[in-house]
Order: sequence, then C-alpha cells, then structure tokens
Amino acid sequence: MTDSRKRYLQVPQGTEGVHLEEAYRHRRITQELYQLFTQWGYLPVETPVFDFYDIYEPLLRSSARDVYRLIDREGDLLMLRSDITLFLAKQMGLWLREEDLPTRVCYADTILRHQSAEDISKNEFFQTGAELIGKAGSEADLEVLLLLESIFMEIGVTTSIHLGSHQFLTLALKELNETELKEAVQAIRNREQQKLHSLIEAHTSPRRADVITALFSFIGNREEFSREILRYDAILQNEEMESLQYLTELVEQMEELGYARDVRIDLSEVGTQPYYTGIVFQVYQAGLDDAVASGGRYDKLLSRFGFDCPSVGFSMMLRKIENQVAERFGLPEDIVKVEGKTFAEAFRAAQQIREKGGIAIQ
Amino acid sequence: MSLNLESTETPLTMALPKGRLFEQVQEYFAEKGFHFKFEKRRLVAHDESGLLKIFLVKNADLPTYVNHGIAGLGISGEDVLYETGLRFFQLMQFDFGSTEMCLAARKSYGKPNTIRTVSVATKFPRFARDYFYSQGVPIQIIKLNGSVELAPILGLAPYIVDLVETGSTLRANNLEVVDTLKKINVHLISNPSYYKLNYRRINRFVAALHSDTGNTVPGSSESGRKYADK
Repeated sequence: MTDSRKRYLQVPQGTEGVHLEEAYRHRRITQELYQLFTQWGYLPVETPVFDFYDIYEPLLRSSARDVYRLIDREGDLLMLRSDITLFLAKQMGLWLREEDLPTRVCYADTILRHQSAEDISKNEFFQTGAELIGKAGSEADLEVLLLLESIFMEIGVTTSIHLGSHQFLTLALKELNETELKEAVQAIRNREQQKLHSLIEAHTSPRRADVITALFSFIGNREEFSREILRYDAILQNEEMESLQYLTELVEQMEELGYARDVRIDLSEVGTQPYYTGIVFQVYQAGLDDAVASGGRYDKLLSRFGFDCPSVGFSMMLRKIENQVAERFGLPEDIVKVEGKTFAEAFRAAQQIREKGGIAIQ
Repeated sequence: MSLNLESTETPLTMALPKGRLFEQVQEYFAEKGFHFKFEKRRLVAHDESGLLKIFLVKNADLPTYVNHGIAGLGISGEDVLYETGLRFFQLMQFDFGSTEMCLAARKSYGKPNTIRTVSVATKFPRFARDYFYSQGVPIQIIKLNGSVELAPILGLAPYIVDLVETGSTLRANNLEVVDTLKKINVHLISNPSYYKLNYRRINRFVAALHSDTGNTVPGSSESGRKYADK
C-alpha cells in the first residue's frame, strides 16, 4: 500500500463519510421526515456551523470536553456545532418576536463532536429534530410526543418512549443544596438507589426518602404508574402529585388517539441536558447501545439568549437506525438504460421517461 | 413460576470475565439455579433455563461489550469499570470477589512525599491519577500491563498501585502495602438502554439472584420495591 493511501484511510475521530446506498438511504429518510414535519407545520431552520464558545459553555456541562474548539482570526474562541438545539435556541432567542409565536421549526444537519475509540460506533454525527416554540401546556407537550411517535411509525421501527418529569425532580429534591442535587441527579440517572436514598434521607423523614427513591426507580406503563402513585398519596405533596398525574394524563391522551404503542413512565428520565424544566423523554430501540431520540420541555433556555418563552422539542440520532430500515429505503430498482443510434436519440427517449417521473440513463 | 417460562423470548445477553472471577460467578449462579458451562474452547454458552446467553470475554474488554450493547449485562469489578469511564447501571453488588486497591512499595519505604512528584507504576492509570489528585499529591504514572511488582524491584518506579487479595505476591517480592486506597467490589452491570428495554425480565433476574432459593420462586420484584414496601 502506498504511503498516501495509508494517510487517506486515516480520518479524525468524529468524522464520517457516507457513500452510495447508505447516502441515498440517508437522503430519502431525511426527505421523508421533512415532508412529515412540513405536514405538521414544522418548517426548516438552518443553524451556523460554528459560534462563540463562551456563550454556550455554561450549558454544555459534561459534554464540554467533546466539543471541538478553534480560534478565529480575531483571537476569539469558537466552537463547532455539537448540538443543534443549543445553536437554534440562540438564533430563536435573537430573532423571534412575540407576534411570531407559536413557531414550529425542524432541522436535519451534521453535528461535530469528539467521540472516543470506545464510542465511535454511536453514530452521533447527524441530528434531526423539531421544536415547538412559544407554547406552554399539555397540548404542546402532547403535540410533540405525537409527532415523535408518528415519525417512528412512519419509518417503520418499533420503539419505547420513556417519559419522565423534570418538574417532579425539582419539587421532590427542593431541600437539597446544589452539590447534593447534582449528585442526586447522577444517582437517579444511574439508578443508584442507595446513594439517592441517603442523600434524600439527610433532609426528610425515612418514609418520605423511601417513597421518593422508589418513585425515581419506577418504570412501568400508565396503569402501573397510576396504581404506584396512589399508594403514596399521604406522603407526596399536592404539587408533586399533580406533576405525576400530569404524566398519566398525557399518556392517557396518547392512548386515546392510538399513538401510545409502548410508552412507559420512568422518572429516572431526568434529561441529559441541564436546561429541561417540564416533561423529559428518551426513546429506546432494541439492538441500539443508546437512546435514539431525546427531548423535553425547556422553558428557560431561550431566555438565556434574551427572549423568554416556553419551548418543547426533541432531537434524534437517526443514523443509528438507518440500517434497520434499509429494505424500505433501498436504491431505486427501475432505472432504465436507454439505447439509441445516436446520443441525441437516446437522450430524447430518456427525457420522455423522466417527464413521466421515471429514472433513465441515456 | 420459574423464569424459564419465558423461553419464547430471546435470552438476556451477559458477558462474564475470564480469569479469577469466572469460577466464583459460575458457582454463585449455580446456587441460585442458573446452570451453565462452556464447551472446550467455546466462548458462548446458554444457561439451562434458557434465560441467559453468556459470552466469555477478557476482563478489560467486558465494559466495551456492554457499552456497545453486544452484551446487555455483565459482571465486572469496580477497578475495570472505573478505568473505562463509561456509564453503566450497577444493578447489584456481589459478596464475592472483592479485593483492595492498594499503594505498595519496598519494605520500610514508607508513604510518599507529598510535595515532590511521585512515580507510580500501575495497570490502573485513571484510578491512580484521580486518587492522588484528590489527595493533592502530584503524580507521574507509568502504565504497565502486568507483573507490576517488578517495577519497584527493578527501579522503574518506587511505588505501585495494584489490586491486593492476599498480599502473598507482594511479600514474595519483598514489597508491602503502604496504604489501602479503596475496597473494590464486583457488580452486575447493565447497558442503560438495554435495561430500559428489558427492565421487567432483568428485575426478575436480579430478584432471583437476591433470593435464597433463586430461580424457582415467584419473582415479582419491580425495581425500587425494596424501598416502596418498607
């Protein structure tokens, strides 16, 4: 092998090339999604590829170390787009006016972040998503959950939505100080029950600590969840109970509309990003190493960029599931190779096929 | 109800580490009613109830298999898990296989000077680095892959950080434990996504491991029941 070929085969961590069938499939799925988004009134937005790092730094949390940074000619520190939701929030915060609300936007674009050798198969190079901006309340939450479920129905994969509540988290752990809260959130996400229990018990009765720990460890369908929370009626405060019942009501509405194929209430879903305020969810699919989609309500994010308005949305790492729908989104089969005595003759014949919507090569 | 009534479903996948832990795991599982054995040179086996499909992998590779979801579950020591820095659910801590992560040196060498940079040879660079930094001690790490005891003897580094079970290898090489840094336990871990998709069956499996009679009793434990029913 020549030295130059060896050199070309090496690619920096966090990049990928997509070729032929794979690229075609990716385009078709993206097109189909855009069509679906449009039918729901979600219109595309484009975000810049890089922006100033310091604006986003407080919002990055642990993902900060995976961000690619660079210095521009003026000496400012920039970051490459590692999460479209963040870049979008800034844009929307800057440009939206009260009279534009509510606004429905969608996107499908490349993201750039470092991935370690262990994580490289995670396929997190391309992010697709939708945001409903400027609408609070259950109808907005419901709309976004229904849109999410419709997408997976449309592309034909079986998924489970795990729905949690950041609001309940805030209420149930309000006695904890900032450091303890961080530790508790970590313990909830990692299902470390003993650690969570001892953090809560330091501030409240043992019985309440039992109940809160049990709730954060619970996973089940709506009926199971309703039964579970009824048992704790005497321990939970009204606001806490309401935030939990809100989840059951949402799922019930999804069921009534026939869009709750597999929805589980799972309070250990507290969001992978620090900016969530209401519902939070992740979507799982068999055979994948990580969630394929995640999202929730983040009513305070846009205000960081100068425009205070509620927002709810999700983003997906669709590339993770593209090879599972390869059959449906395969290469076109009916490509006609037109023969002719001259090139002009073949070209004209090919044009006739193209005009009827066919695919032809002259 | 026995867990194997669900044999129509695909088995739960689990990675087990080759080496010192394997036999202890096999024995423990047999006590709980999960019997399996690997045919000669084979690295994949099923337990007799059909609930588990088990892969035998190298200790240090086990977290990688679980991280990628190739094995949904795994059994691993905290030492190995810590080095990867990856996120797993720790579903259960076992009462076998625990060891201690220790700082060792030649006899009468004493504790390290905390002002000068200390050289430490170890198979566990991440753990060693984090531990000494948390103590405010500057450290230079020399990564080795085995026979770490040689480092102080041959003069590669005065200190080593390594797992110590009985201490006999240290004594045989004229070394001693200077400080015990952390107790290292063995855990049942899960890929988070795999757990979320299979939580019912995994919870029942964990309940069977917790119970004295194992895989023969009704196992209706939901996660969190431990706290809910107190």
